[in-house]
Amino acid sequence: MLGAIGSFLVTGAMISAIYALIAIGFTMIFGVGGVLNLAHGGLIMLGAYGFLVVTSSSTVEFLTIPPIAGLAVAIAVGAVASYGLYVGLVEYIEDNPVITFLATLVVALILAELAVVAFSSSPRGLVNLAPGSSGGSLGIRVTNIEIVAFVVSWVAIGLLWYYVTRTDEGRSILATSMSQRGAQLTGVDLPSIKARTWLIAGGLAGLAGVFIGTLQQTSPVMWLDPLALAFIIVVIGGIGSIKGSIVAAYLIGYLETLTVTLLGSGFRGTFSLVVLVIVLLVMPQGLYGREWVHE
Amino acid sequence: MTNNDTGIPVTRNERKATIDRRTFLGAAGAGAVATTLAGCLGDEDDLIRVGHIGPLQQDMGAGSENSAQLAVDQLNEEDGIMDREVELVSADSVGDPGEALTATEEMVEQDGVDVIIGTFVTEVMQGITDYVADVDVPFLITGSADPVTVTDTVAEDYDRFKNIFRSGPINSDLQAEGMVDYAEFLADEYGWTQFAHIADDAAWTEPFSDNLPGYLEDVGLDVVHEDRLAPGTDDWAPVNSDIDDADADAVFRFFAHNVGTGMLVNWRENEYEFAIEGIHVPGMSPEFWDDSEGAALYETTSQSGAAGAADITSETGPFVDAYAEEYGDDRPSLPMYMGFNTYDAVFVYKDAVERAGTVDYQADIDTIVDELLETDHEGAAGEIEFYGPDEDYPHDVRETTDDDGVITNFPVTQWQDDGEFECVYPEHLASADHITPEWL
Repeated sequence: MLGAIGSFLVTGAMISAIYALIAIGFTMIFGVGGVLNLAHGGLIMLGAYGFLVVTSSSTVEFLTIPPIAGLAVAIAVGAVASYGLYVGLVEYIEDNPVITFLATLVVALILAELAVVAFSSSPRGLVNLAPGSSGGSLGIRVTNIEIVAFVVSWVAIGLLWYYVTRTDEGRSILATSMSQRGAQLTGVDLPSIKARTWLIAGGLAGLAGVFIGTLQQTSPVMWLDPLALAFIIVVIGGIGSIKGSIVAAYLIGYLETLTVTLLGSGFRGTFSLVVLVIVLLVMPQGLYGREWVHE
Repeated sequence: MTNNDTGIPVTRNERKATIDRRTFLGAAGAGAVATTLAGCLGDEDDLIRVGHIGPLQQDMGAGSENSAQLAVDQLNEEDGIMDREVELVSADSVGDPGEALTATEEMVEQDGVDVIIGTFVTEVMQGITDYVADVDVPFLITGSADPVTVTDTVAEDYDRFKNIFRSGPINSDLQAEGMVDYAEFLADEYGWTQFAHIADDAAWTEPFSDNLPGYLEDVGLDVVHEDRLAPGTDDWAPVNSDIDDADADAVFRFFAHNVGTGMLVNWRENEYEFAIEGIHVPGMSPEFWDDSEGAALYETTSQSGAAGAADITSETGPFVDAYAEEYGDDRPSLPMYMGFNTYDAVFVYKDAVERAGTVDYQADIDTIVDELLETDHEGAAGEIEFYGPDEDYPHDVRETTDDDGVITNFPVTQWQDDGEFECVYPEHLASADHITPEWL
């Protein structure tokens, strides 16, 4: 019994950290620019495939670097692609939410098709950053990669938190997400803030891609589930709120783990959707929705 | 070249250069009508058209298409079928019943195919059976293994569905029996007596979930854990943990829709003390070793053709070599099980229609069916004979057995060191011994 509870607590914490990583970038972009970036899952996929290409000898033979360096490449690929997506496309259309919504979806679909062409539709595994497992005592089994994913996710979230609350550059992101007009009045350079937000969100997505790609699989359809998760988490946490995303990520992560433990893995996502509906009906602003103010 | 309404033959270039608009429209219209009619009158020319359908974006479908093309090329190097040249018409089912039906209708009505070979997903096969039965075109199934393929059709209404055959693999009722033989082999070899059973929640695995646990218990083996998993499962930690908690010595897992990479990675990292056996369709791809970054090591799967690792008949080696020469650099670099069956099906069809002396299924389907039933073909995947109309699985390929009654045309392969496919069962075909992880 103790083992089961311990196992539940540990597994839930691991998966929730990755969920938070997925959701934060999504919520930041919405908070700052009011853009629902449906290509967010695509950026996660890019990170995973970027990691695959540079670390696996089975793709590009002469390009095989250690997995830890691959992690940096994945972050860079996600960040650059996200930045490029903003300055190359979204910047011109972001005033029209419907067009932006559709355009980012099209980008996601194009990325998925390109992944099929380049890597086939068969799912791939990634080189394991940290092979082996730890624990085993008390009946709790945790693989090393899960622990690494947990630690790295929290380090990334911690750095982001420090950046947006303790540095001027970061605080201007937070300010923009609270009120664009207010931020502009205090001298914030809006376009550069938005571009920087996309860069950071892309980097987080690329990082998350490596962990999802390793723990689950790397495939041309891997962008869908994380996108849906990000959506659910962000709505529950309060759109635009980083704190809300983290809290909601843990809520959903533990809810799913509990569901899997009690009912089996087939029911994994069911109750997240129920919670989503309840939140939409009862408190549509989400748990921490106040940070974002309508103009 | 086509005729315009003045009866003067024109080519596209002349049309462009000299003809006024009205004449052009007339010619184009006539041309359009002519091409449409040509489709309906597919037999007017001298070609025999072999229709192939499968999920071409997947390795399984692509390997099957390559194998069909290889068979057709080999026929054309000799005398074709009934001294007529053969052409392959291949369509992508996309693994979707609706898409598959449209593609099949197009193949029959516009391309005028003389036979349809293929279908991998059971649900896709079911989506086209009614249509195929109505138009009477011979249909040789080479991928889907669900017994309902014949028991719900040919066995129920013979007159209507008589044009439907399965030339491979053996159906999953028979596969489940084969799996019991294999479990007994593992019990003899390692003393394993406790087995877990998990399967895709899809039609093809129902015969396994319904029968295998009972069969295993009948021979004195225990089934300690059973589960069915939704396609697309990506969280494998609880799955492995449940198998381990049940103290299983080995798990029989049946995955075609689910991809077991995550399960294998989680299993290896945790060094779980059970072996992974059963059927894993994605793991049959020769590319799976690279796709899974070597996580495939030690997993086994049953598959017709044994991935070319064993000389099942004298046809197996030459077929695999010819495939490797033609498509060895493509993906998949080996035919995969559906490829073996598709390749064999082309020759089964050729032999039958040559005996029948006709490919005209609209007039002579009964003769073609009679001759298909007479099939006794040494194929790349094994000896092919069909169950008769009054037997349990009418028009289904027969299992082959050895002297002890052990099923032999559903061999087991294992991924071994350095990414080699080895055939490990049945023993007379084995290219290597079955091995277990060093942590077991």
